[in-house]
Amino acid sequence: MKRTRLQSLILYGVVVLTCAFLLFPVYWLIVTALSTSAELSRLPPSFWPEAPQWGTFAKVFAERPIPLWLLNSTLAALGSVSLSMVVSVLAGYSLSRFSVRGGHSLGLFILTAKMLPATLLVIPLFGIFRQVGLIGSLWSLVIAHATLIIPFTTWMLKGYFDTIPRELEQSAMVDGCSPLSAMVRVILPISTPGLAATALYAFVLSWSDYAYARTFLTNQQGSWTANLGITTMKGEYVTDWNEVSAAAIFIAVPIIVIYLFLERYLVGGLTAGAEK
Amino acid sequence: MANISIQNVYKNYGSLNVLKEFSLEIEDGEFVVLVGPSGCGKSTMLKILAGLEPASGGRIFIGGREMTDLAPGDRDIAMVFQNYALYPHLTVAENIGFGLKMRKVAKKEIATRIKDAAKILAIENLLQRRPKELSGGQRQRVALGRAIVREPQAFLMDEPLSNLDAKLRVHMRAEISALHQRLGVTTIYVTHDQIEAMTMADRVVIMKDGVIQQIADPDTLFRKPANLFVAGFMGSPGMNFVSARQVDGKAEVELLGQAVPVDADPGKLSGAASSKGLIAGIRPEYIKLGDGPLRFEVKPTLVESLGSEQYVYFSADEHAVPAEFRADDENRKGLIARVQNAAHLGVGEAVTLSLDPARIHLFDAASGKALN
Ligand SMILES: Nc1ncnc2c1ncn2[C@@H]1O[C@H](COP(=O)(O)OP(=O)(O)OP(=O)(O)O)[C@@H](O)[C@H]1O
Ligand SMILES: [Mg+2]
Repeated sequence: MKRTRLQSLILYGVVVLTCAFLLFPVYWLIVTALSTSAELSRLPPSFWPEAPQWGTFAKVFAERPIPLWLLNSTLAALGSVSLSMVVSVLAGYSLSRFSVRGGHSLGLFILTAKMLPATLLVIPLFGIFRQVGLIGSLWSLVIAHATLIIPFTTWMLKGYFDTIPRELEQSAMVDGCSPLSAMVRVILPISTPGLAATALYAFVLSWSDYAYARTFLTNQQGSWTANLGITTMKGEYVTDWNEVSAAAIFIAVPIIVIYLFLERYLVGGLTAGAEK
Repeated sequence: MANISIQNVYKNYGSLNVLKEFSLEIEDGEFVVLVGPSGCGKSTMLKILAGLEPASGGRIFIGGREMTDLAPGDRDIAMVFQNYALYPHLTVAENIGFGLKMRKVAKKEIATRIKDAAKILAIENLLQRRPKELSGGQRQRVALGRAIVREPQAFLMDEPLSNLDAKLRVHMRAEISALHQRLGVTTIYVTHDQIEAMTMADRVVIMKDGVIQQIADPDTLFRKPANLFVAGFMGSPGMNFVSARQVDGKAEVELLGQAVPVDADPGKLSGAASSKGLIAGIRPEYIKLGDGPLRFEVKPTLVESLGSEQYVYFSADEHAVPAEFRADDENRKGLIARVQNAAHLGVGEAVTLSLDPARIHLFDAASGKALN
């Protein structure tokens, strides 16, 4: 079907508008970071600072332990993603492939864990972590985030494995694989797009957490994650929003880089050619 | 290479009996085709043979070794799947060599065997490609390559040609037959295409609802179908069925106003329950144009030309064709003859057809069993 000029025009218009709408907060973050405090309190606001204050970035970087915060966020995210992926690959694969009595209800039950609000779960978790002495340690985040992530990723991966024809494993088993080695040698390699998308999703879930970090880590400055660190920049009487924004940009960059890096995996297509 | 013995295998999925008492002896090097309508349990039987599904009961021997409880990889069989199931992340060479690698064959030997297999199938130039870069026919060959490189005791093939277009299917059919001639590996081949069954098989196993209907070579199957199902399933267009009756211990069919006696095995005939009566079967290809031992004049209701031959439909007496065999289409409700395309035949224009009564099949309507 060929589009008319008008249709193309409308289509592009809608795309541009959507992008503008989605990107405006990002743009405003940058504007805020580059403005002076005085400019920020002015009304009406200006859409670009008169003299962009690049120095704010240097100042924030010097005054706040941003690398440490990023490192902590990264460690917590990597830990919880690794834990979640190991568990949910095995669980998702089993739910997809083996018909166990009650398997379906079990799968749905996993999801109900997700219906409870995080703020409710945080209280019992705090009790448990205090008893085992994990309060203040990043391990508390690794485990707590995993409990958030696993229900989602298990279902995402189950859905992905469902799309892979069973004949691939059957063929591998006839070729001499055990069920486990068929999964490792055949199913996982062709699942890279699904695995990457799921892991990225899990990473973002962990990276964007504030409630758990705030509850478990507040008294341990050395374990602060980026999100927790930024909120401590909010003063009691005055808040330097330009500095907060600059810090926020430092924290957003890693995620953007990861997206760019994983993009080619996210746009799947590796399974093409398995059939027919 | 080995003989295969399937003994009283049955399979239930919950309360659904998919296979009932399946027994089959296959000789070393034989090419056996399982054929039957969709859902009759062909794939299930093959998966049980491969060890991909456990049987609910019964035993399986390959080459005299009991396989019933062995894992698929320990059975020394190779399987070709309908959708080929090539590993998309591996090259053609790696796909073909995968089974050897899993069996820890030396690297050097794997390389030579991949090359040999590729040569047999004429895919040497494709070895470094990935499955998605291949055409359907090429993928089919790779799937075959993966099977033959292992030099297994037996090949199991589940509708391997059904994804190919008609022309390629005919070609690959011949190629698989040639491959079987050359390698002599015992093969069990599943299809629901009766032409594949007829052209490739040493013996055909016809199944319906998980029950074997007849095991025979293609010729016998066509000439001496064991029951109504086999008679109707094999042959295209299908056999004509007409109600028949028993008169003084002899079978007779009323055909377009003529009472025609039908040969029958007297023992079987007397044993046939008379409640539902008899059914005579006439293959469309045995009805000829022109004069013969039994001749009748008909006015075609429909003539379909296939180029070299014609399908001539003509109406029979009311109720001559039992309701369960009658087509819905008004013009195809009667009988059909498959004749050489000799002359122009017009709808409604009288034509003379003839038939050799010796070629009429006879079945017991109640049990469906053949009576002659
Ligand atoms: N895992 C399963 N659970 C329940 N029923 C099944 C399962 N696999 C197959 N069946 C049923 O078993 C019957 C036989 O299936 P099978 O796949 O063997 O048929 P088939 O003869 O190969 O048919 P087709 O020609 O369509 O491939 C079907 O009725 C099917 O619905
Ligand atoms: Mg099947």
